[in-house]
Amino acid sequence: MPTDSALPIYINGLTKKYGELFALDAVDLNIRSGEFLTLLGPSGSGKTTLLMAIAGFNRPDAGSIQFGDTEMILTPPHKRDVGMVFQSYALFPHMTVAQNIAFPLKLRKVTEAERHQRVEEALETVQLGGLGHRHIDQLSGGQRQRVALARAFVFKPRILLMDEPLSALDKKLRERMQIELKQLHRQLGVTTVYVTHDQREALTMSDRIAVISDGKLAQVDTPQTIYNHPANGFVADFIGESTILPLNNDSSGQLSFNGQHVQSQPADATHRDWSLVIRPERLYLSEMSDAPGRHNATDTPLALDGIVKENVFQGETAFVLVTIDGGHEVSVRFGTGSMSQAGHLQPGDVVTVYLNRSDAIVIPTGDH
Amino acid sequence: MTARSLNSTALKQQERMEQWTLLGLAIPAIFVILLVVIIPVGWLFYLSFIGDNGQFTLEHYQKMVEYKSYYRVFLNTFKVSILTTLICIVIGYPMAYFLAQLPARWAGFFMLAVLLPFWTSLLVRTYAWLVLLQRKGILNEFAMDIGLWEKPVKLVHNLTGTLIGMAHIMLPFLVLPLYNAMKKIDRDLMQASANLGASPAKSFWQIYFPLSLPGMVAGSLIVFVLCLGFYVTPAVLGGGRVVMVATQITSILENQFNWGAASSLGVVLLIATVLVLIIAGRVFKLDTALFGKG
Amino acid sequence: MRLVLVASVLAIASGAASAEPITVVSWGGSYGAAQDAALFNDASKNSGIEIIRESGASMSKTCLQVQSGSVTWDLVVTGSGGSAAAAADGCLEKIDYSVVDVSDFYPNTYTDYCVGSDVFATVMAWNTEKFGEPGSDGAPQSWADFWDVEKFPGTRAYRANNVDGALEPALMADGVPAEEVYEVLSTREGMERAINKIRELKPHIAVFWDSGAMQAQLMKDNEVDMTTGWNGRFDNAKKDGATVGYSFDQALLDYDCFAMPKGAPNKDVAMKFLAEVSKAEYQANLPFHITYGPTNKKAYEVTTAPKELIEALPSHPNNVPMMLPVSLDWYAANRKEALELYMEMLSE
Repeated sequence: MPTDSALPIYINGLTKKYGELFALDAVDLNIRSGEFLTLLGPSGSGKTTLLMAIAGFNRPDAGSIQFGDTEMILTPPHKRDVGMVFQSYALFPHMTVAQNIAFPLKLRKVTEAERHQRVEEALETVQLGGLGHRHIDQLSGGQRQRVALARAFVFKPRILLMDEPLSALDKKLRERMQIELKQLHRQLGVTTVYVTHDQREALTMSDRIAVISDGKLAQVDTPQTIYNHPANGFVADFIGESTILPLNNDSSGQLSFNGQHVQSQPADATHRDWSLVIRPERLYLSEMSDAPGRHNATDTPLALDGIVKENVFQGETAFVLVTIDGGHEVSVRFGTGSMSQAGHLQPGDVVTVYLNRSDAIVIPTGDH
Repeated sequence: MTARSLNSTALKQQERMEQWTLLGLAIPAIFVILLVVIIPVGWLFYLSFIGDNGQFTLEHYQKMVEYKSYYRVFLNTFKVSILTTLICIVIGYPMAYFLAQLPARWAGFFMLAVLLPFWTSLLVRTYAWLVLLQRKGILNEFAMDIGLWEKPVKLVHNLTGTLIGMAHIMLPFLVLPLYNAMKKIDRDLMQASANLGASPAKSFWQIYFPLSLPGMVAGSLIVFVLCLGFYVTPAVLGGGRVVMVATQITSILENQFNWGAASSLGVVLLIATVLVLIIAGRVFKLDTALFGKG
Repeated sequence: MRLVLVASVLAIASGAASAEPITVVSWGGSYGAAQDAALFNDASKNSGIEIIRESGASMSKTCLQVQSGSVTWDLVVTGSGGSAAAAADGCLEKIDYSVVDVSDFYPNTYTDYCVGSDVFATVMAWNTEKFGEPGSDGAPQSWADFWDVEKFPGTRAYRANNVDGALEPALMADGVPAEEVYEVLSTREGMERAINKIRELKPHIAVFWDSGAMQAQLMKDNEVDMTTGWNGRFDNAKKDGATVGYSFDQALLDYDCFAMPKGAPNKDVAMKFLAEVSKAEYQANLPFHITYGPTNKKAYEVTTAPKELIEALPSHPNNVPMMLPVSLDWYAANRKEALELYMEMLSE
């Protein structure tokens, strides 16, 4: 990995207000050299504002953006030397594919011979070899996406920004491109900031994910940590499927649900109220003979009795909605392989839902 | 009857019926075009070859070669039209650009201002310019009052006045298609251009301008072609010094009753206009400019 | 605008009621209004001939009607030159002078195809503030003065698009005596001599006018200092406050007339109306409404107009000798060629 081609980004106290609304509220974020960092959040959360601030397309009210040691906050966009893939691709319709890709090279006064060679290389990299002469309107959506990508990295920027680049593609193509982008990132080694509202995409591609909500960072961490240890209800709810149940906190700091002990309150807690986050695929039913860790000697699972409300088949997986005692609804996801017995469950069947205590995620309540 | 031909005859018939219905809808339009375009233009051609004695003749066209005045009038018509178009571009392009950058609400307001001239009679606007520009007109008096110049400057009854008046009247015809084309330019393109390293000036010339060009070409052609046949403004503001084809045609009709000679001028102007459109069409891919990507 | 004048009571009383009203076409504005007030209304009443009045008289439209075989006009007002050209193109009926009495008319105010309605003059007019009142010391007196930009520095206006009355002043300015003007103009060299003279003045001609209204406006707005034009227009401009004066010296004496389109729908009745309207009693009223003189000499005898007004009319016996009567023969023979040459010069 050519590390010299990447730059870290240091963001400090970045604030941007639209009227009374904080689009960015004193955001601090360090993006490591060469990493693939995804800004993940719902629409209006401020993720695009943050990306555009890095690119220089909006003027923040306060804060600092450094590329390496260089302060960029006042630098106009055309002098920031970052590559960017736009959601709309923003390909120049009056130029051919090759002209589009050569555009940043021309501006950098690259000789014609070298320009030609680098355009060809970039086209090869995005698997569009031989299509340089095409006009933009002769390309499919996926091809346009690749051209936009090639144009963004052909001039070897040390930072690459992508604004929901895959959102216009159909599901299959999107999933393939996710893998390709990941491979490309590894190949280029460039610091990449990627914006999406699709949590699955974020989990698939990122080295780290910055979950953003209401102009603030909710959590910045690896996909695994974000998924397994969401910092708060917002992250837990936004990332993956989850059922969030209120926990009972007794005077000694022991947390329980429906009378079953879950775990002790974290030692450094300043909170009183806690919730239990359950991932549907971590639950299993009495009917599932293949459920992993069902009879763990050291860990008796939580057992929740309930009644099947719905059984939904979705192809590779299925889920059962169970109304448990106390009226809460939990979703149990399972594979649809021949081993699974749960497929026969009918609404009204009485079942028991199990959760290994090690899979129980406890978060402070109310910090949604 | 095989499975592949089930109902096929009836379905084909239905399709044909729909096509006939569509054609039927076009009949009034075809009729109108025949009535207001084909027949009059055909009549114009016919008349241009008819002499005083009602016989076929080429004399009207021969006269155009014989007397230099016709050649000069055509030359002058093209000169005035080109200059007016250029002035409209120089004034209209920044104007359309300004409008295109405004938020929709303000753009609407300013667009009204652009269209305002359309609501006033052409004659009134033309005479208003006369009042403003003449020797003892408002502009000259004002300029002399504040000491801008000492003697009245000749602003009207010449080419200057004609161009001012015509550009004013033609401006909206350029601004509207241009504004339309500019509005269609994706803002992301300018951001992308900046992002790739182009300075604002380079972004404008390499991205924005080429993309606004079809609108500019369309608007310019509309202005140019309208100018070629313009009568009122050059007649009033030109002071008889700016003779255009339309003025010449009127003069021939009024003073010579010579329909043949007038028709021949009309025919030559029509052919010249069509030629301009064809050449412009070749050079600028006009179909795209006027009707967008098909 | 169509105005049907119904004079039914009188018409029945005189027993001359005609089946169809005739269509009489004149020009708009004060000219047509003056004719209505002085000529048409009373003539219709007295003759019992109903008339439909239309505006927009034009010999080219007349010819179009004749050539397309759909004549709706019966009598059309025209300039003398226009009528001569239209007659040459075969667009006009011959006037029946057994019906229309022109025995008291000035010579050269009627032709085979046209009966004079009023006399006007193409004069030179100037800004009196700049060059003095007409007749005063130092005021312009001749076409030579019009051409003399050193003695009378300032801008000029001249006729656009039309050669009528444009060449004669140039020749007089070039030293040709008035009575020889048309003789000289009858050759190509003569025409070119006149054209060259105008070409010489062209740098000083700021505006070329193409209507009487424009002549008046140019003087009113001080846009030019000296112009050619029709005397009545300058009187009107003066009434409106313009500092303008003119002289009949070397002016071109010309007349407007009534013509009848060939194949006019009510030829016989129209001819009777033409006879009525040409009577001195009607023309005698014209000066009250516009400063154009009668073509019928007797009008001077019967008119009640004040002396100053009468003496200011172009056809007044005192004024006529100062002027050059326009030669319709010359226009009939040479107008087309002269117009081409004039337009050629204008387009330079």
